[in-house]
Amino acid sequence: MTQRSPFGLILALLMIFGAGFAAPTVAQTGPLRIEITEGVIEPLPFAVPNFVAENGAAGEFAADIARVIASDLSGTGLFREIPASAHISRVDSFDAPVAYADWKAINAQALVTGAVSASGDRIVVKFRLFDIFSGQQMGEGLQFVGTPQSWRRMAHKVADAVYSRITGEGGYFDSRVVFVSESGPKNERAKRLAVMDYDGANVQFLTDSSSIVLAPRFSPTGDRILYTSYQSGFPKIYLMDVASVQARALGDQPGTMTFAPRFAPNGRTVVFSLEQGGNSDLYTIDTESGALGRMTNAPSIETAPDYSPDGSSIVFESDRSGTQQIYVMGAGGGEPRRISNGPGRYSTPVWSPRGDLIAFTKQHQGRFHIGVMRTDGSEERLLTASFLDEGPTWAPNGRVVMFSRETAGAAGQSSLYSVDISGRNLRPVASQGAASDPSWSPLLP
Amino acid sequence: MDKGLLYSGIGHFGLILWVTIGGFFIRHDDTMDLTVTEVSLVTSAEFEAMQAASPTAPAPQAPQTDVATPTPTLPAEAAPTPPPVEETPPPLTPPPPRPEPVPDAAPEVTETAPVPVPQAPEEPAPPSPVISDEPPILAPTSSTRPRPKPATRVAPVPTEAPAPDAVVDATPAPAVTPEAAPEAQVVEEEKPEAAPEEAGTELATEANKAEPLAPSSSSRPKPRPARRAEVAPVEAPETSGATRDAIAEAVAAAATSSSEASTSQATAPAGPPMTAGEKDGLRVAVQACWNVGSLSSEALRVTVTVAVDLGQDGKPDVGSLTMTEYEGGSDGAARQAFEAARRAVIRCGANGFKLPPEKYEEWRSLELVFNPERMRIK
Repeated sequence: MTQRSPFGLILALLMIFGAGFAAPTVAQTGPLRIEITEGVIEPLPFAVPNFVAENGAAGEFAADIARVIASDLSGTGLFREIPASAHISRVDSFDAPVAYADWKAINAQALVTGAVSASGDRIVVKFRLFDIFSGQQMGEGLQFVGTPQSWRRMAHKVADAVYSRITGEGGYFDSRVVFVSESGPKNERAKRLAVMDYDGANVQFLTDSSSIVLAPRFSPTGDRILYTSYQSGFPKIYLMDVASVQARALGDQPGTMTFAPRFAPNGRTVVFSLEQGGNSDLYTIDTESGALGRMTNAPSIETAPDYSPDGSSIVFESDRSGTQQIYVMGAGGGEPRRISNGPGRYSTPVWSPRGDLIAFTKQHQGRFHIGVMRTDGSEERLLTASFLDEGPTWAPNGRVVMFSRETAGAAGQSSLYSVDISGRNLRPVASQGAASDPSWSPLLP
Repeated sequence: MDKGLLYSGIGHFGLILWVTIGGFFIRHDDTMDLTVTEVSLVTSAEFEAMQAASPTAPAPQAPQTDVATPTPTLPAEAAPTPPPVEETPPPLTPPPPRPEPVPDAAPEVTETAPVPVPQAPEEPAPPSPVISDEPPILAPTSSTRPRPKPATRVAPVPTEAPAPDAVVDATPAPAVTPEAAPEAQVVEEEKPEAAPEEAGTELATEANKAEPLAPSSSSRPKPRPARRAEVAPVEAPETSGATRDAIAEAVAAAATSSSEASTSQATAPAGPPMTAGEKDGLRVAVQACWNVGSLSSEALRVTVTVAVDLGQDGKPDVGSLTMTEYEGGSDGAARQAFEAARRAVIRCGANGFKLPPEKYEEWRSLELVFNPERMRIK
């Protein structure tokens, strides 16, 4: 056996270390390139000082408009308002230069400044948005003209513009929600249709409480509402014109019950469930000609249909497999394809305005969930869990889902909640009293 | 001295040395595992007593069998399973007369496009909903993370221009000029007031003063030695014309190269390349300010590359921030992603990134690739 010389080992080590020290001496060419793959997810701090009142009559709106804008943005969970008490500099003039250093000092990353002027029956609201750390204005300044009564809508429009410029996606603040307002005990609950701003303001009732109403749905343009009413003793679909509050029955077929209506994206066709002889199937009806078309013909119960945004497909729930599951089929007919494959029962599917997700209600192991999944059923994600969550509806930008949540017990009542599709920012929606079955309108014109 | 004696002495000395301190350099394995068994001392009388007692020792008990426990009956599902309303519409036999859908308050959602329509008369703000005692339940933890949508889609249309009711000001508002940097004001640092002399219980006099430890006098430093006398310049040997030309060219070339270098490197130290740790430090510093929480889902699919120049103090030159490339989304989404990246660089670089000054040439120009793949909706 031969022994190795220790000098050989030492020499080898020296060569290795020498090579290691020599390696960094290779010169770098071009700029230093670094890849960043981890960031933070936290609300973006912003500031909205009270708008400048450019005349005396505008004084009553200046602060209120700023508060509504701040409330809209903070309510998304994507932004965090820096309170006025922390502001260093004041905005006394709409055209005054921005003291970036002062806003940087309080870590404001976005600043909304604005002014209001009022004259007669007209107010003008204008605003600018600044990126504090870049030291520049984001987009052009805009102004809105309206009546003093519509100051909240103008504030929502400003908030929509700010939201859109920062996030890159459309806002949803200038929108309305139609829902079923509930009152009375659980076994004798009075229900009537109501409509309100998305944030719960300006609640107005559309029907009285003499008959049960269910499942109101806005038209794609927000000017009409479909709903189901028992005013004839049987559930029937009605179409209401929002401006005149006049309603008429739709597809009134003797000996049938119709329910769960939804508008097609064209605003003219309505898909709904029709029950006849104990069997429910999906039908369509033309709201102008009244022409009826049958979409499914199965001994099972098919209901809760909804169109895809492009109108090419329909998603609905069916118990043809033995339990409630979600199916997708072409709008022109064809074989339905089951997309829900998890444990539990799935119902009330609603297609996202973006077209990429379907929200649904899931019942599993004694709890109810609101969830979303891809249109092929993949990537199911449950957003909520409670005693009873149901009836999701999408915000116009497809980022937020609103639904109704009912508490347990004899005294339990239903209220509206909203949640981001990430599952964050679960929050109650203000409404006058108990509420259920919300339907979000598109952005108002 | 006799060689034999010398060799013998060296050998013995070496042997003694090895025996004495050799063990210091040779590692002994002192960590042998020793098995220690505890023993107890018994007397012979005790041992005999134990032997005598052993035949009558009780046999070990058989293991007890588990007593069958009643199987708990599963509780019935507590949660109600209300059927979808649409599915079980209870037909009501006596159809009541159809009431007029007279609303309590007519909605004034008008579609007169240009101006925001007037709403109904001001109503008091609705009260907050009654929230049950049930604690809010957050989204279950079993939710799966979303993945990027396989197909591209049309970007959401931002409400850039207001609807017809939004009138863009005919007279565009003048661009707001950036605020002039306020002059730095020299603030005199307030000096604290002189502390009052400490008071004591004894009057300090020369008599009770402690003996000083310092020497009472110090020796003067010695004067600097005189400089040497100037050495007379040595006459340069005569050189030929060709040699002079060559030297002149070399000097000129050296001067040129040095002047070029001086423009870029005179004030910019060019040290060794950045180490992986230094790069990681910069990466961590930037990502701490990269907030993607307010980005749209489309912008979260865009990878943007941002170029930026840094000053020697590590602060980014805001004017040099540019998006050199992007991939994975539309122009609008890329712009949103770039703005988030730009905010990150400016915010976290406001006080200068901590970078080795001697390697300024290595990091004066950066290319930061912001890849949000791991940051998509979690």
